[in-house]
Amino acid sequence: MSGRGLFGRSAGEPAAEADVRPTLLGVVTLMFLLLFFLLTTSSGQRLGVLELRLGSPSDLAPLPHAGLVKDVSVSLSGTTLSVEYTLQSTDISAASTTVEKRQKDLPGVAGRPDLAGLLATLEELHAIDPSQERARLAPDDAATTDTIIAVMDVLHGPEAAPLFPKIALTGSAG
Amino acid sequence: MKRRRMFRADSGGLAPGLDVGALAPLVDMMTLMLVFLLRSYSTESAPMPPEGHFELAGTTSEAARASGSVVVLVSKDAVYIEGRRVIAVNYLPEDLLVREIYDPLLLMRGKKRIEVHVDRSIPWGVLKRVLHTARTAGFEDLSLVAASTSSL
Repeated sequence: MSGRGLFGRSAGEPAAEADVRPTLLGVVTLMFLLLFFLLTTSSGQRLGVLELRLGSPSDLAPLPHAGLVKDVSVSLSGTTLSVEYTLQSTDISAASTTVEKRQKDLPGVAGRPDLAGLLATLEELHAIDPSQERARLAPDDAATTDTIIAVMDVLHGPEAAPLFPKIALTGSAG
Repeated sequence: MKRRRMFRADSGGLAPGLDVGALAPLVDMMTLMLVFLLRSYSTESAPMPPEGHFELAGTTSEAARASGSVVVLVSKDAVYIEGRRVIAVNYLPEDLLVREIYDPLLLMRGKKRIEVHVDRSIPWGVLKRVLHTARTAGFEDLSLVAASTSSL
């Protein structure tokens, strides 16, 4: 049976090299048009959004967290970060449940807050209790937005494996 | 040594013109550029104050903006609500509740959500007054907008 191929060549004819240049040129032209369209309708600055939770004296206190890390609070004073957290005792021989409040101060490094030290501390706490998602951040009045957002990014952690994504900014009530 | 050229006179029996071997990398490069642009460029334009220098802080967050929000912009000079200047930063009162911000926001309570665009150098002492006023005006959903620094 003598059928015709996809590109009009008779099945019985000897194979000839097809010229693909017109097709490739069409693709390149389309790419150029797409590039031009993208460059004219878009901006090089992408925006990211951070959800805010503001603490207020009139708010009801949240229920105590059931895990081992009861609360996490980070304060920023100048370039010094201070992490305060409450840990529940894991001593099974203890007669009653005890909690222990701890504090870790992280002095600034080269005139900037020690974000690497903060990340290490937060990762330790997250490893102890991965179910704790809340943290409070209390910056001082002089802290710039740039620094606050950098600390919030560390508190939140990467999108794939967040540390404390529910961040409450305190100090809004003075 | 046999060298390939983009334009060659003798193309092995085919008509002279562009060589296929040169076009394929060009298509690859265009595809890569398209992917890069689609990934790193954004179609949403960031609001800017009508005057003065304004620079957003950087964030690793990739969360997208929600539509239908009231846009509050805090530059080094002034506070703007939906593009309208309401008060100069230097004249912000010491109180947490700023009447000049509170009154316009009360008229926009139907939107329920506020996006705050803040210059990276604005201190928390200023920002907290804007945020507290917005919350007092009835806006529970507050978000801070920054420039995404996430890489490919």
